[in-house]
Amino acid sequence: MGGIQKKKYERGSATNYITRNRARKKLMLSLPDFRRLCILKGIYPHEPKHKKKVNKGSTAPRTFYLLKDIRFLLHEPIVSKFREYKIFVRKLRRAYGKTEWSAVERLKENKPAYKLDHIVKERYPTFIDALRDIDDALCMCFLFSTFARTGKCHVQTIQLCRRLTVEWMNYVIASRALRKVFLSIKGIYYQAEVMGQLITWLVPYQFSHDHPTDVDYRVMATFTELYTTLLGFVNFRLYQSLNLVYPPKKLSALSSSLARVVSSSEEEEAKLDQFPDEEEQKQLETQKKIFEGLKFFINREVPRESLAFVIRCFGGQVSWDKSVCIGSTYDVTDETITHQIVDRPNVDKQYMNRYYIQPQWVYDCVNTKMRLPVEDYFLGVTLPPHLSPFVEEKEGDYVPPEKLKIMALQRGEKPDEEEDEEEEEEEEEDENEEEEDDEEEAEEKNLKKMEEQRSQGKSLQVKVTPGKVKAENRARLEQEEKAEEKRLAIMMMKKKEKYLYDKIMFGKKRQVREANKLAAKRKAHDDAEKAKKKKARK
Amino acid sequence: MAARRRLKRVAASQSGFLSFKSPSDTTASVGSRRKRVNKNKKKNWNKYSDVNDVDEFLEDIRHQERTTGGLLSEKTDDSLFFLDLGQPEKPQPQGKLGKASRPLRIDLILQPDSLVPPPKDILAYQQPNAKKLRRIAQKAEQLAAKGVVPRKQKRLLNRRPVDKTVKKAVTEANNNPDRDYYDIWGQELSADPWYLQQTGKKLVKRPEKLNEKPSVLPAVEVIAPGGSYNPDFFSHQVTQNTKFMTSQATCMLLKWYQSIYTLCTFSYFKQVEGLVEEEEENNVEESAPSKEDEEAALAAIAVTQKKTEKQIKKEKAEKLKEQQRLTSRRQTEQQQQLFQLRSIKASIRQQEEKTKSKQMQRRAKQEAQKAQPRRLGKLKFQAPDLDVQLSDELAGSLRQLKPEGSILKDRFKSFQKRNLIEPRERAKFKRKLKVKYVEKRAFKEIT
Repeated sequence: MGGIQKKKYERGSATNYITRNRARKKLMLSLPDFRRLCILKGIYPHEPKHKKKVNKGSTAPRTFYLLKDIRFLLHEPIVSKFREYKIFVRKLRRAYGKTEWSAVERLKENKPAYKLDHIVKERYPTFIDALRDIDDALCMCFLFSTFARTGKCHVQTIQLCRRLTVEWMNYVIASRALRKVFLSIKGIYYQAEVMGQLITWLVPYQFSHDHPTDVDYRVMATFTELYTTLLGFVNFRLYQSLNLVYPPKKLSALSSSLARVVSSSEEEEAKLDQFPDEEEQKQLETQKKIFEGLKFFINREVPRESLAFVIRCFGGQVSWDKSVCIGSTYDVTDETITHQIVDRPNVDKQYMNRYYIQPQWVYDCVNTKMRLPVEDYFLGVTLPPHLSPFVEEKEGDYVPPEKLKIMALQRGEKPDEEEDEEEEEEEEEDENEEEEDDEEEAEEKNLKKMEEQRSQGKSLQVKVTPGKVKAENRARLEQEEKAEEKRLAIMMMKKKEKYLYDKIMFGKKRQVREANKLAAKRKAHDDAEKAKKKKARK
Repeated sequence: MAARRRLKRVAASQSGFLSFKSPSDTTASVGSRRKRVNKNKKKNWNKYSDVNDVDEFLEDIRHQERTTGGLLSEKTDDSLFFLDLGQPEKPQPQGKLGKASRPLRIDLILQPDSLVPPPKDILAYQQPNAKKLRRIAQKAEQLAAKGVVPRKQKRLLNRRPVDKTVKKAVTEANNNPDRDYYDIWGQELSADPWYLQQTGKKLVKRPEKLNEKPSVLPAVEVIAPGGSYNPDFFSHQVTQNTKFMTSQATCMLLKWYQSIYTLCTFSYFKQVEGLVEEEEENNVEESAPSKEDEEAALAAIAVTQKKTEKQIKKEKAEKLKEQQRLTSRRQTEQQQQLFQLRSIKASIRQQEEKTKSKQMQRRAKQEAQKAQPRRLGKLKFQAPDLDVQLSDELAGSLRQLKPEGSILKDRFKSFQKRNLIEPRERAKFKRKLKVKYVEKRAFKEIT
């Protein structure tokens, strides 16, 4: 045979992939630098379909990157900056060792730094691309802004994150973009709609600070580096779209509104959503102004930032105690305050014309897009459960009764007067029974009358009137026909097919059955509670 | 000798002293006729004048000035004497000066109060070229008054002022809290593409494949409704159950149970296997008698070493026969296939359906795989445990809420799940060389 023989692993998928160590050596970087570069440029390892081929016959678990990606990395200008930084560290260490302090000063002043602007532009060529990826960026920035200012990560990063998150929150307030809020045990989930994109982010509680040991801080810091840059540019663009001045001043209190570049006549113009339906638009506009005209005061023990953000997003005015933070506009003693948000079991001094409510009222109002009755949220009252607005119930799923109540409220029906108080229920039940009895009695009476009349031979008042053509519900008829056909088809199926069909229907009805089970359990639970209460009362 | 004589003379001349010669010896002439001395000359001032008392007096005065700070006769009574009145009954009032500002008595006592000042250090005031420097300064003043500026100063004034850039490194850093942002998407290419290419500043185009996201999962997955801080009763139960079922502990338990189960069933089946095998043997025997014959024939052929011609011919004939048989069979099959069309069609349809269903399954599997985290590297992805608070840990109000789980960990795991980074574990400390423990000699004797 003539010609050169084809050797194994010389072409195809084996040559398209490269292991991590090989890639690192090709780039002449250390492993942490290589990792940092990959994170910044958005180059991720790939799992090849046929690992054995790529690994040249062995099955050892290795990390593979695409060769083309690594070749692309070679052209990156930051790589040289990494190498310069390595040299800088070496020189600095030498100067410290020789105690040449002037050299140390000089070196520190000329520390090599790099900027990530071109990377952001390359990874997100349009603004909408950047908006799609802003979820992650927001979560990381919010997370870092809650870190304590100890030496674990650069204090400057924390400050920058804080600035960016405050700017973002002010943008959301100005554009009234917030849609959903959910308080969970991990943190607070927010969802906003910005330029047609639904953006969800998670904010940790201010008072939780356990730093787990199995998280790689350098990796997270690198991600944050990239995301702070991205978020800054996105903020700039968003502010520009609303004709606001960037960077804004004096924002940290979230109490003042932003300065505008153009005169205030354009304030109401911001039309971010394009709905063909006018009704929906009107609905949305009303939903954006739930708290319009209300004045809130936040007590000390309540998380101030979150509440201030949410309330201002929907048009309300907020203030807090002066000693908590700067920027409080009015004091507790202000007479025009309509609602005061308290989380203690009782308050010392109670003013007449204001409601004292627990903070969950605000969040629940936002989720149900209307002002809920305040009575359920008074001090000392057991709160109704905080339901998640991110859950979409399909047909047949279990819907908690609280949610049903709220949906009824939303539709505009009168709030259910059946409370969980025993006596009232009993009374109601009795009343119902009585009503039913009455109805039955009335029917019976009628029948009796007719019988009597018959027996007496009197002609009944019932006459034979010409038959009225009942407006046949065509749709109903069609449905009935279809149902009949279905039944026939089922009857005519063979045994095997019928067996399969039964199995499928069983699976489909499972959800409905589960929902029923849960409802039954709930009922049993409620009955048990009632019985307990009865016993306690007695 | 001269001094002695002088002394005698001085002593004799002074009034209080007795002359050395006895009074009986002295004659009136000596007493009445004293030798006349000329005190006008400088020579005689020292010889014949007696200044002892003046000397002593002056010495005394100088002594007083040196030691006690002035003449004692001129001092006030208070500074020399004090009236001892015994212990004062009340502590004396301090006055405006408090204890701190009032100087200590011992300090006052110890201060130098002599009227003789300490000698001046002349060397400290001496400058060898003071006159020269003064002259130069005067000349410079005169020239400056005229307007002439010396060369050095001219150069100093012409030099560019130093731009005190406050820590250039800090302002240029990426995480500077006061950094500026600009409209990165609004600006079009400021420079000419040809220029950028020629100067080597053109950035390489990013490959299209890198713009795809590595996973279809969303960036932020909202927690189940049972994770609310004040959850609905049944959502909470459901979440608790799922946590229990999917937690690491239960998975390990289930695996353990499974392994035990397989062991038991394996041993059980081994016992049953014997019975089953016997049954199968009976069934198999009837259907394969011909096979045994063939096997026997093969065995026989293998044993014989040399084949006779007869046998070779026989084999050839057999071969031919076989071939003929096969060809005739094939022909009849082909003819019969015409009548078997329907069944053939049915079998084809079945195969097609099989392949289709398999394709669909494979596609569904692939789709499901996309949502799974890929295996990138040595470690497998460990799904994080669900965050759920037990029923007795639930807080009624926001104030009493104790947050569960750490968001840092949650984000880290999310990155791993979405294939952005490979799963990583904290590096363990591995010893390349074993540590050797040796008992000290002293203790060896004891034990």
